[in-house]
Amino acid sequence: MLRMIIVCSWGMSTSLLVDSMQSAAAQMHISLTVEALSAGEFAARVEECDVVLIAPQIRHLRKSIEKLAQSAGKPVALIEPFHYATMNGKAVLEQALHLQASTREGTV
Amino acid sequence: MSVMIERSSAWVERFLVPPLGAVASNIFLQAIRDAFIIFTLPLILAGSLFLIIANPPIKALAVLIAPYQSAILVPFQLSFGMMALFLAFGVAYSLAQYRRTEPVQPAVLAMVLFLIATMPVSDLTNLKLGDVLPYFGGNGLLVGIIIGILTTEVVRRFRGSRYIIRLPKSVPPNVTRAFEALVPAILLITLVWSIEWFVSVHTFSNADGKIQQLTLPILLMRAFQPLVLVQDSYPAALLEIVLMMLLWSVGIHGMNVVTAMALPFWLSTLTVNATARGHGIVTEPFFHIFAHLGGSGATWPLVIYMLRSRSAQLRTVGKVALGPAVFNINEPVTFGVPMALNPVMMIPFVLVPVIIVTINYIVFAVGLVHVPVVLQPFTVPVGVSGFVASGGDIRGSLLQFFDLAVSALIYYPFFKAWERILIQREEAAARPEERSERLPAEVHS
Repeated sequence: MLRMIIVCSWGMSTSLLVDSMQSAAAQMHISLTVEALSAGEFAARVEECDVVLIAPQIRHLRKSIEKLAQSAGKPVALIEPFHYATMNGKAVLEQALHLQASTREGTV
Repeated sequence: MSVMIERSSAWVERFLVPPLGAVASNIFLQAIRDAFIIFTLPLILAGSLFLIIANPPIKALAVLIAPYQSAILVPFQLSFGMMALFLAFGVAYSLAQYRRTEPVQPAVLAMVLFLIATMPVSDLTNLKLGDVLPYFGGNGLLVGIIIGILTTEVVRRFRGSRYIIRLPKSVPPNVTRAFEALVPAILLITLVWSIEWFVSVHTFSNADGKIQQLTLPILLMRAFQPLVLVQDSYPAALLEIVLMMLLWSVGIHGMNVVTAMALPFWLSTLTVNATARGHGIVTEPFFHIFAHLGGSGATWPLVIYMLRSRSAQLRTVGKVALGPAVFNINEPVTFGVPMALNPVMMIPFVLVPVIIVTINYIVFAVGLVHVPVVLQPFTVPVGVSGFVASGGDIRGSLLQFFDLAVSALIYYPFFKAWERILIQREEAAARPEERSERLPAEVHS
């Protein structure tokens, strides 16, 4: 079970990526919930996830989002722009899983 | 060539990204943008539907509908027509989220304050709704935004401060919260009401020559009228499109940022166009519908070029980009070609929309196509959207196709240059023994 928040702006293009991630997760037999939120909604709901990813079009907010996620103890990373562009859900999912795994090792 | 590209990329990262990023990260602009998208856009779009039905583009139909026009306009007037009221709620709510404080209380309070600001201090039972109604919509947006920001900023400072009413610990938290909000609520209501009282002692004669009491939104609109006129001009349109595309050039959502600043002006102008058949040009559809064909930067033609490209990277992106392009979504293009932070493609990425905006401004100014009157989702496909936006003028669609041809023409040489570079890189990557520093194998690392 992986709960993910993607912080983005309109949520239009991100919804395409989410679809692709859901089908990748189904193939890998992972139960995945993804929510695409604006930076403001994210600030209010940071507790409700395991991993935070940032869409490339709001990378200027990266620092403040990272600070908030880290203070809540959530692993956070910027989505690789080319994976975002090609809507490569599998690669982004792997990025998230990797991120989660490496954080776990770090804290234990 | 590659060395030059890397140098200019470094220059862009160093000198262009920080200032543009700073503008885009402004917390108030973010809150306004969120409020617009989450709270008012659905109302605007639903309301537009009734507006279109009430003003059908075909003459025969218009005659048929005329007796029922006022009735059909009621849902429009109470949704789209009241958007400033809901924007006040939305701005207060979104800003509270960014400030990480409870959002519903300040948001509801902001609506109350907006109502107080919009109604003259007088015997309300005798007030004619029609006198104040325009200021609940496009003409009240500035007041809505200001009140939304003010409310949340004041309420959040009171929270946790000494100046609130405290109850014993045994009282349930919901009751405590209600009392916490009491002091800032009374303070803000008194403040806005007294200003409004002072303002509405004064009168003015409205468009029909009738004497009417002033209110805060009316006062503000009269003060900002010159600015609304200035915004509806070619230099302003040019400034806005350049800012949008510079932001996108460094990978930031430019349309969102500029929308947060210019929306009150765009909608005031559009409201006049829609109701009184005005001739304002620089409105929301001017950019979303007539400039950003296939997504910000008018990148539709690039998708076609990519599908037939010899570069594997561009072909891959082209396939993914085709579907979204139909609905004017082009993040695959922006981050896949990529356009953002790419010194070769950044040039036409700014230039093409600038030229299209220039052409369109002239076309609308001389009246070759009816000025935009209808707001619609930016996802409506090119061809249909031009027809609808101009209130059912087929020349609106033709203009879009003409602009696409211009875009195709200007993008072509830049696309070819970038394609050559990518093919070189891909060939170098395919021959591992020749991998060198000069031709990096990975395009995105």
